[in-house]
Amino acid sequence: MKTYILKRIAYLFVTLLVIMTATFFLMHSLPGTPFDEDKISKLSPEQQRQIYASYGLDQPVHVQYFKYLGNVFQGDFGTSTLYAGHPVRNILMSRIVPSAIVGIQAVLIGLAIGLLLGVVAAYRHNTSLDYLTMVISVLGISVPNFVVAALLQYLFGLKWGLLPVAYWESYSSSVLPSLALSFGVIAQIARFIRTEMLTVLQQDYILMAKSKGLSPVRILLRHALRNSMLPVLTILGAITVNVLTGSLAVESIYSVPGIGSLFVDTIKANDYSTIIGLTVFYSAFYVVVILIIDLLYCVIDPRIRLASAKE
Amino acid sequence: MQNTELTDDLFSPARSGAVEREKISRPMRSGFQDGWFRLKQNKGAVAALAILLVLVALAFLGPLLTKYDYYTTNYGAIFQSPSAEHWFGTDKFGRDQWARVWYGTRISLLIAVVAATLDLLVGVTYGSISALLGGRTDAVMQRIVEVLVGIPNLIIVILLMMVMPAGIGTLIIAMSISGWVNMARLVRAEILKLKNHEFVLAARLLDASNGQIILRHLIPNTVGVIVINTMFTIPSAIFTEAFLSFIGIGLQEPKASLGVLINSGFQVINSHPYLLFISAIVIVLIMVCFSILGDGLRDAFDPQMRV
Amino acid sequence: MKKLAAMLLAMTILLSGTAGCNSFTGKSGETSGGTESGAAQTKSVSFYLENEIPTLDQFAASDNIAFNVLNNISEGLYRLDTNNVPQPALAEKCDVSEDKLSYTFTLRDGLKFSNGDPITSKTFKETWLKQMKADTKNNYAFIMTDYIVNGMEYSEKKMDADKVGLETPDDKTLVVKLKAPTPYFLSLTAFVPYYAVDMDFYKNKGADYALNKDNLVYSGPYMLSQYDAAAGATLVKNPNYWDKDSVKVDTVTIKIIKEQSTALNLYKAGQLSRVKLSATDVPSYKDDKEFTTHSIYRTNFIQFNTTAEGTKNVNIRKALSMAIDNNTLMSTILNNGSEAANGVVPKGMSSGIAGKTFGSLQGTLTSFNAEKAKEYWEKGVKELGGTIPQITLVLDDDTENKDVGTYLQSQFKSVLGIDVTLDSKTKEARRALMKSGKYQMGLNAWGADYDDPMTYLQIWTENTNSFRGNFKDTDAANDYANLIKAAHSEKDTEKRADFLLRAEKSLIVDNAVVAPLYYMGSAYLVKSNVKNLVEPNSGILELKYASVE
Repeated sequence: MKTYILKRIAYLFVTLLVIMTATFFLMHSLPGTPFDEDKISKLSPEQQRQIYASYGLDQPVHVQYFKYLGNVFQGDFGTSTLYAGHPVRNILMSRIVPSAIVGIQAVLIGLAIGLLLGVVAAYRHNTSLDYLTMVISVLGISVPNFVVAALLQYLFGLKWGLLPVAYWESYSSSVLPSLALSFGVIAQIARFIRTEMLTVLQQDYILMAKSKGLSPVRILLRHALRNSMLPVLTILGAITVNVLTGSLAVESIYSVPGIGSLFVDTIKANDYSTIIGLTVFYSAFYVVVILIIDLLYCVIDPRIRLASAKE
Repeated sequence: MQNTELTDDLFSPARSGAVEREKISRPMRSGFQDGWFRLKQNKGAVAALAILLVLVALAFLGPLLTKYDYYTTNYGAIFQSPSAEHWFGTDKFGRDQWARVWYGTRISLLIAVVAATLDLLVGVTYGSISALLGGRTDAVMQRIVEVLVGIPNLIIVILLMMVMPAGIGTLIIAMSISGWVNMARLVRAEILKLKNHEFVLAARLLDASNGQIILRHLIPNTVGVIVINTMFTIPSAIFTEAFLSFIGIGLQEPKASLGVLINSGFQVINSHPYLLFISAIVIVLIMVCFSILGDGLRDAFDPQMRV
Repeated sequence: MKKLAAMLLAMTILLSGTAGCNSFTGKSGETSGGTESGAAQTKSVSFYLENEIPTLDQFAASDNIAFNVLNNISEGLYRLDTNNVPQPALAEKCDVSEDKLSYTFTLRDGLKFSNGDPITSKTFKETWLKQMKADTKNNYAFIMTDYIVNGMEYSEKKMDADKVGLETPDDKTLVVKLKAPTPYFLSLTAFVPYYAVDMDFYKNKGADYALNKDNLVYSGPYMLSQYDAAAGATLVKNPNYWDKDSVKVDTVTIKIIKEQSTALNLYKAGQLSRVKLSATDVPSYKDDKEFTTHSIYRTNFIQFNTTAEGTKNVNIRKALSMAIDNNTLMSTILNNGSEAANGVVPKGMSSGIAGKTFGSLQGTLTSFNAEKAKEYWEKGVKELGGTIPQITLVLDDDTENKDVGTYLQSQFKSVLGIDVTLDSKTKEARRALMKSGKYQMGLNAWGADYDDPMTYLQIWTENTNSFRGNFKDTDAANDYANLIKAAHSEKDTEKRADFLLRAEKSLIVDNAVVAPLYYMGSAYLVKSNVKNLVEPNSGILELKYASVE
């Protein structure tokens, strides 16, 4: 187990290096430069040359790459060109927190309600409760989250005045965006739990547990739910990463200063350092979440032996 | 209590040959026929299938039912509410929304089909091979997945836009790069769970190849997860397309898809809500039907659900 | 599973805990009550910016979002008044020499930055020298090196600083020597890159300069009391400002709000003093007493590539230009305070001749004429050998450009019967494409750097840029360049204006290099108790004159 984890952590760094390298070269092959070219073209050729030289952009891309790599190993991700002068690390730190608060709350709400709905739907298969869950779940995935966000903003913020309309000012500002984001999470988790649970409830060991006289709640929680968690866990990884890295639409509707728009804005502006920093953060997060999930597979389901992954 | 004594002369040997003994009186059905039969029993699924067929028909024939087409503008008739003239109203260029909605449905359905196919072909195959072979192969395949997810899609998309003309083809390629990853991971997890079950061992003992084990034994047992995930892939593909079209790759005006229509309807939600709601209703309808049909399919084809 | 949940829960609590002290921007007193109720005690206004504040380092700031803040926390020798005319600010007066090549500024007495450092003529000299360096991050070196004697040579590191035409005979006097007569030089000194920076403080802070409110000093009417690049800023009155008595608003809240509908909702909830309306919201608020429109010096136009297939023919270009009905575009699609363009130079722009705007002298250069467009088109097609050219329009991928593109496409279809393909790209990609000349026509825009037609007309004579449209090395292009050159060195304002008028006419009418579409404008709702919250034609917000009743 220990060697397995160590091995995975070693892999993790290789993966990150590959991602960083690929992103670096892809970014540098994007059309345009990190500058406002309309403005640059008003400068004399010599002035233009000095600008590129001051950013090291006059050197061959591979030279720039190794220089960048050296800096990264010293923990320096460079400074942004879009947010001129701001160190990439500062930008990431300040933007991640709001996205993370909203994201974690959305996942927790989604997980709690999703599990509840899914279990109830499976247990009361083909009853009106089951259908209601289905309806919620279908709406949750087919109605885009920006529509939900706008609706919640109108109702809770403007019409009833219960919560802030928008803007990141106090804890209550995070409630509506979290709710809006949790819709999709509820839908996915409820659907997966219900489907898996329906299969699991047919299994012999459930019959066995029933015949031993265990209470239905105990059967559901201890036996059925545990065995239905696998796909939920898998999907939860992707959901968590997606939700925590911010939703462009929801964040802009509620004016959350998160990282949702940072991705789009910096890619469009060719802000090399920020994009690579953001990518490294995002993929590190993803890779770690996947590692945790792979480890949890065997906690949740003893039948998956790590040995099989090592062979 | 009266006992009737049974004597030998009450019995006579049945005259039947070896062939007769093995005969199954109910008609033989393949797995597919069997599933189809079960599906037909499920009223909800049949209704969903019927509605889907109607939507598909409308997607192709709908624009023909009106004298307007999806691209002709009329600046004298912008933002008209639904009426006898324009059944779904008009948009900000005075284009007939009925024609645009069904044209958009056609594009979105195409994208849905491509996304689902990709999920089923690439995602399921990748996930099952990775899980079944395990060991080093699994490790390498999973790292590849991590790299694919790690590199921001948007960069690849903008690069693609440079080398290829903007359009539906470029769009589909852009979405294909990492669209199947979730499915691959889900199937892998399920098969990791299943691969140590007795029926796989039995199949191995009977000298089944890896391909046979995957196709005949493992995939049918993961069909529930596969169907549900496809349900989620379809709307997310439709909305990813809308996002990509919005940032410039993909559809160019005057072409439209449901996602694009919803996006532009959202911009006028305060003043002309019908533009959002009509396209939203169509997409919800498609999803509800896909969902019910998907559940029906799972019930019909998942061997574990046969009671 | 329980552990996982507990872990996540702990993380949330942790994050919410830290959030309490630093992540949330904190409710400032006036926001809850809205501007109406708060007006009685502290006079406050609040407005919003549509994107993050990229930086508040004057040497790095290059866009209107940053300028909107900087313009109000810093000050230059001059400041634009509500009518767009430069008025003495840190300078008390300015004497211009007979040959119009020497400007002598006299500073006011006792000028101080917010931290007490004195503002002297040396402050300006040092700031401007730094601004002239080519690698100054805002890439605005040209705004000085184009005008000031030896500025370019200093910028290209060919000359020392003491040769530059900036002299400080004493602490209160700054003498600026110009290369050529520049009628708009005073309005340049009212532009943010010309403002005063405390250079000792700047050097002292190094890379941390302007990263937070404590790493900045202020010379303008306001100073920051709170600043978060992604969330917004709060401004309060600067006690060391020379004219602090005429600043009537105590606090200004600036919020970053990217979604127009969100801003409208916040306005309705009383949390914003002013909101921009989207075109589709305009009809519902048009008759509201809070409704107002405003257009700025920014022209959107079609740039034709004069050497590309199809558009290399002048008749084809004329046909495409004449097929566009700018007025319909305004009334149906944009409808947001933008105005149909008569030419590439905004019509309110000064001509240099007192009392006459450039637009009033030039009249209308654009004309929608379907029949003539068709004639030109057929003539052009004949000249091209009879094949109908396939034409693509490149454009940025935002909603406004896409709407305009869709309109143009439909117009070309109905007037000329041709199918024009739209190709939307990110701004950087579109610029790169247009700079390389691999396009036929593209939607482009230029916002004025100063109040003079030259800011527009000279871009068709400059180095390779995304505007030029390969309009060079032909007789027509040389004639155009000569007109601009003549205007540059002309001392007589009327003759200069005449050169510029002829240049614009040749660009649009004779050669059809550009087809002007509209002057950008916006429709707003402004709370009725807020007065003089003005945005001069530069599009940069001016808060000094605002008041709350």
